Amino acid sequence: MKVGVYVCHCGINIADHVDVEAVKNFAENHPQVAVARNYTYMCSDPGQDLIVHDIEEYQLDRIVVAACTPTMHEATFRNTLSKSGLNPYCLEIANIREQCSWVHSDQTRASEKAKELVSAAIAKALLLEPLEEREVQVRRSALVIGAGIAGLQSALDIADSGFEVFLVEKDPSLGGRMAQLNKTYPTMTTTEDFISLKMKDVEKHPNIELLTYSEIVAVEGYVGNFTVAVRKKPRYITPFKCSSCGQCEEICPVRVPNEFNLGLDRRPAIYLPFPQAIPHCYVIDPDACLYLTRGECGRCIEGCPSGAIDFTQEETERTIDAGTIVVATGFEPFDARLKPEFGYDRYERVITGLELERLLSPSGPTDGNLPAYWGEPESIIFIQCVGSRDKTVGNEYCSRICCMYTAKQAHLLREKFPGSRITVCYIDVRAFGKGCEEFYERVQKTGVIYRKGIPSEIYKRGDKLIVKAEDSLAGELYEEETDLVVLATGLTPAREADKLRNLLKLNRTPDRFFMEAHPKLRPLDTAIDGIYLSGTCQGPKEIADTVAHAHGTASRATIPLFQGKVKVEPVTASIDTEICSGCGLCEDVCEYQALKMDAYRGHMAVNPALCKGCGACHSVCPVKAIAVKQFKTEQVLVQIEMMA
Amino acid sequence: MVKMAENTKKAGQKRRVSQAVVIGAGIAGMQASLDIADKGFRAILVEREPTIGGHMAQLDKTFPTLDCSSCILTPKMVEVGNHPNIDLMTYSEVIDIRGEIGHFHVTIRKKPRYVDVRTCTACGLCAEACVHQGRIPNEFDMGIGKRAAAFIPFPQAVPQTYVIDPNHCLMLTRGKCGKEPKCQKVCSINAIDFTQQEETITVRTGVIVVATGYDQFDPTLKPEYGYGRYENVLSGIEFERLCSASGPTKGKIMVNGKEPKRVAFIQCVGSRDKTVGNEYCSRVCCMYTVKHAHLVREHIPDARITVWYMDIRAFGKGYEEFYDRVQRENIHFRRGNPSEVYQRGGSLVVRGEDTILGEPCEEEVDLVVLATGLVARKDAGEIGKMLGLSRTPDGFFEEAQTEETISTPRAGVFLAGCCQSPKDIPDTVAQASAAAALSCICLAKGGG
Repeated sequence: MKVGVYVCHCGINIADHVDVEAVKNFAENHPQVAVARNYTYMCSDPGQDLIVHDIEEYQLDRIVVAACTPTMHEATFRNTLSKSGLNPYCLEIANIREQCSWVHSDQTRASEKAKELVSAAIAKALLLEPLEEREVQVRRSALVIGAGIAGLQSALDIADSGFEVFLVEKDPSLGGRMAQLNKTYPTMTTTEDFISLKMKDVEKHPNIELLTYSEIVAVEGYVGNFTVAVRKKPRYITPFKCSSCGQCEEICPVRVPNEFNLGLDRRPAIYLPFPQAIPHCYVIDPDACLYLTRGECGRCIEGCPSGAIDFTQEETERTIDAGTIVVATGFEPFDARLKPEFGYDRYERVITGLELERLLSPSGPTDGNLPAYWGEPESIIFIQCVGSRDKTVGNEYCSRICCMYTAKQAHLLREKFPGSRITVCYIDVRAFGKGCEEFYERVQKTGVIYRKGIPSEIYKRGDKLIVKAEDSLAGELYEEETDLVVLATGLTPAREADKLRNLLKLNRTPDRFFMEAHPKLRPLDTAIDGIYLSGTCQGPKEIADTVAHAHGTASRATIPLFQGKVKVEPVTASIDTEICSGCGLCEDVCEYQALKMDAYRGHMAVNPALCKGCGACHSVCPVKAIAVKQFKTEQVLVQIEMMA
Repeated sequence: MVKMAENTKKAGQKRRVSQAVVIGAGIAGMQASLDIADKGFRAILVEREPTIGGHMAQLDKTFPTLDCSSCILTPKMVEVGNHPNIDLMTYSEVIDIRGEIGHFHVTIRKKPRYVDVRTCTACGLCAEACVHQGRIPNEFDMGIGKRAAAFIPFPQAVPQTYVIDPNHCLMLTRGKCGKEPKCQKVCSINAIDFTQQEETITVRTGVIVVATGYDQFDPTLKPEYGYGRYENVLSGIEFERLCSASGPTKGKIMVNGKEPKRVAFIQCVGSRDKTVGNEYCSRVCCMYTVKHAHLVREHIPDARITVWYMDIRAFGKGYEEFYDRVQRENIHFRRGNPSEVYQRGGSLVVRGEDTILGEPCEEEVDLVVLATGLVARKDAGEIGKMLGLSRTPDGFFEEAQTEETISTPRAGVFLAGCCQSPKDIPDTVAQASAAAALSCICLAKGGG
């Protein structure tokens, strides 16, 4: 086997601290080195031409480039090899810049180290095997899980790019949490207008297929070729027959808490989730309906003028093929009962921020007012950071939106009740979004009092609530009588997220939200190719940032769809089937789900489309049956020997 | 166009004709270009400076994971430089925009580098030979380090090409440099070419992504903090360069040759401050200061460190956790905005009111770092006029509506990153991908 060695000066970057001429001469003396050269800039065109020329002239089989880090120019030199007809994986880089010249000042010792690095690279190069780069075809469709604002926006963008989208939503209607909100800070625009428009756009989009009231039950495959099983719950209503006339609703004898209004009012067992729901079709709650639970009643069947009610409907399951998957499962408001000191489940007039949103919404249970029998409150107290920045409930993180939604709600109540005393108890006011500081300032000027310090307790005296707190700026304890307490409950991951996480094999950060591929530069991708995160399932964010995030996710998720094929990493794990006993330890450590037991043959099998070549499997294999190509034990050991 | 491109192209690659112009090659412009190019469309990436990378290249570590900024950024820069679908136009400025979505005509002025991009190997001999070597304040290091008239902004710059500073080079200012310019003499591949002229070209594009970034707030506008008067009062980015292992002090925190043992950080300098006309919050300063405080603790374990703040806004993913960790590193967070920094003997005195204790206090320190905010580019007005974009009262470009921060009232023009409003790196990257999504929808529909 013939090796060519190329020592780069990198201008003065390497040559100033490493005697490149000496390194070249050293390499030349190696019995299997046919040619060694040094050059000012190997990555330049003339530098690469040297390699191309030598491969032909000397019939080289392996190339060693001693230069900068492989992250910089490995791809460049692999291309050079390809151009000359040599397999691009017959290349080994000796990093004599970052790992040598840049970190040493003594030229003699740096040069010796460079020689060792080069000899190690030659030794490994001799053991390198040519690898094949493969491509897999991509199905030009995407699956979006969750139809809140994030899922809706991602689905719209992917569909607008010309690809088929399957939008799966667990609830009977699109809209998610945003549909429950009233106004958007800081401009106080009506939230409903924005979300309704998006819902309608999605409904009429020719490229989007809606699967509401449906859940993901199984996921298989890899980027470009996911197969997903979706289970659709029965609505017990035939959608095309239902005209949403609402007659059934009046006939239904059952009343249960209405989840859209957070239980602030009640709905029948047959119901429309909310007036603008899409699909605009009634649904029967199987846990509340007397016909479905006890087999009696059935009054709605007779009362429906269009015969849309169909109790024979059953759960259906179907399979979807998708090239990429967008996860947009959103958040759950923090359960205020976990902070018993605030008395949320004891006192009627201790409510959560989201409950106040519904009360203030013109389409809410009270037509946009506080319940009439509450009267005009003399005093209202908002408490921030309920379930956020709070290690006692396991949520160390900041929920990012509560400061501003509190400012917004304080502003709305100030307009309604000009005479009330409104106080916000806070730790830090985080008004960081565009126009938010300005809004916060405006709210302060309308006489909303901001007091630093979170209350320790709420209790009742007579018919008044007493909030006990420390004003940490005044440095004093105080108790204040109040008529209404609003808890700025934080955001926690959606309940369903955990189930989905297992199906998709996603990781979580310690805050339990889904983990992105890189916290700085890849906030939209996951560790698994072809699966992306959109919106608050990745971490709390306000509407504007969620929409931006969702657009961004659509961009990431359409890249493979536009390309039509994806490259498969050739540096993957491989299994010596003679040795493998099928113990499955490797399967447990594989973050990419690339290892599966081949039950028929009795050993493990690698899915090269999923494997990233990280080597975690290799380190746990008790019998060393797994090796990562290019990093096989002998290939690594020979390098260590040369450096010893 | 292909001739103008500075990066190498793979021959025989199929291309769609649709293309986008991206203005600004910081992390936002780079990410937008990469996403557009990865989908098979062409992106013409125009950058005013001689290299891509923007402000992120100047940062030392990134919060909250303390990843080395250039270690994560430079591979991305290389990717941009090598991408077959990206035409890089550095040291170039957009001077005119006409037309509408699908049919924009963008005129770009390309400044002469006086160095041939195709032959220069960035060996650095020209800079060594330059008579100005080590004399000109290096902008990349915020003037703390010095460079020659022939220079490369930083070692990993893309393109890997030197540039000659026309304001300092003797050949360019006086037409003469000794008997012959030494740089030309030492350049064995004759890459230096003093005859280069400014070029103006016009390109057609379907969409435009604006990613022009931000300027650092000028701390001399807060004279009470003594920036510019005292050498040991630094701005946020200056401190980044001081901490950076590739910076002018090789990562040693040294001021006037001495290691500071008492360090004060002052937040909200130029942010949340109506006296300088910036009512808004700059969104990143709290966290970069928390990071700075941590870096000082790491470099100088026995230092006394104080952070003066109004509210700590640790809102991003993992930020609160990081803030909590840094608080436990014996760093004193003091609520209050100091009124003044003055000199007493060899030390600086920070005077302020601790609003939690409710008492005025003074603190002697060796170094004051100002958490300078982010302001709109000083030429944002002109660029806005060219693009037909209006600006919000904070000076940043105005988005289409509160919920839609990427679109603008002008069809086919999208915003990415800090030109729309201050934001941290992950939010910038997400928004840049978003701009790419909307751009590619137009291009896929034949908008290009």
